[in-house]
Amino acid sequence: MFGQSGSGKTTTLRTIAGIVAPDTGRISVGEDVYFDSATGKNLSIQKRRVGFVFQDYALFPHMTAEQNVAYGIKDNGLRGASRLERARAMLALFKIEHVSKRYPQHMSGGEQQRTALARALASDPAVVLLDEPLSAVDAETRSQLLPEIKSAQERVGIPFIYVTHNTSEATHLGTKVVVLHGGSVKQTGSPSEIFNRSENER
Amino acid sequence: MIWEPLKLSLLVVTIATVIIATLGLALGLLLAKGRFHGQELLASLFMLPLVLPPTVSGYYLIVLLGRHGLIGGVVYNLTGWTVAFTWQAAVIAATVLALPLMVLSSRAAIESVSPQYEIASYTLGKSRVVTFFLITLPLARRGILAGIVLSLTRALGEFGATFMLAGNIPGKTQTMPLAIYEAVISGDDKRAQLLAIILTGVSVAAVYFTNKISKGAIRYY
Repeated sequence: MFGQSGSGKTTTLRTIAGIVAPDTGRISVGEDVYFDSATGKNLSIQKRRVGFVFQDYALFPHMTAEQNVAYGIKDNGLRGASRLERARAMLALFKIEHVSKRYPQHMSGGEQQRTALARALASDPAVVLLDEPLSAVDAETRSQLLPEIKSAQERVGIPFIYVTHNTSEATHLGTKVVVLHGGSVKQTGSPSEIFNRSENER
Repeated sequence: MIWEPLKLSLLVVTIATVIIATLGLALGLLLAKGRFHGQELLASLFMLPLVLPPTVSGYYLIVLLGRHGLIGGVVYNLTGWTVAFTWQAAVIAATVLALPLMVLSSRAAIESVSPQYEIASYTLGKSRVVTFFLITLPLARRGILAGIVLSLTRALGEFGATFMLAGNIPGKTQTMPLAIYEAVISGDDKRAQLLAIILTGVSVAAVYFTNKISKGAIRYY
């Protein structure tokens, strides 16, 4: 989802997650209807299977990386040590097992970002929403993380909705790009369809 | 001689602090998160004992709980018992007078936790209750702890309202602040001195402790 600031990208993500309710419309993920103003249906945030990666990650500052990820694990039968073990395995998938015992304030931007993604995936979501997840990291980390996010998406095989105002991120990650402007959809198409046309280039 | 008021103060403050901590935290949460009519009016009502002269608060407590009081009268007619001039009255006076500090501190502490963390917890499927105990409360713990220490100190020093509702009965309702008053009046300088030093020590320790915990709070938010 591509657009300049103020175009409604973040608001769209927040309506999908159920953080804010839209006035009218319908939100569904696969077969599951999350919101439908026609029938009055409005699932709570907790009941929507949505993984959210926030712009500032929102990692819990009083929990270590593994505790953050373990907090999100849905399986309630899994307790204590085995829960943390599963969390470490998820961190290992992002090659950051070494930060397991660290608190967010002692982690780099890239490590925090990977932990946030691992946590979002731990809750067994049907869709992952990423709100400009790379806006706070340096260019080098960004070029490392882009392919990692892409391969994470391919590995779990669920849709990722990635919000950005950066053309190269949209080109590298998107299979389908939605251009938002002034709160409404202006264009949809593949990255090449969108970005090879001169009208959207600044 | 000095042990009677010390023991009584300890008893009164312990019970009062337990009540203040739970009730004050609940009210702080209600005021921080609630969105209802008359919310600020309710908040102001609980702040009153902080700004009223303690004797005025004490007077209202008598009007409410005394033998002929609005609630106390009913209790007296039913049971023949009145809370006035009992050690329980000292607990009530200390609780009511110190509660505002706990409500203020815990409300501010809860409001200082970024809602982003709570929303993140909801998206991970956690209920409001679970989120409060595992996210909000731990992140607000320093402010809440500071509130407990402050109100404990206030409860320990309670004089005016206690005098009004519980009286000054040695061995029964005479807490340390009242014992100091009594000692000075009767010219027992040694006793007054000793009690004053103990109270000063506890208060200085409390303020030092409060500063220490609130200082650490900056790291998180």
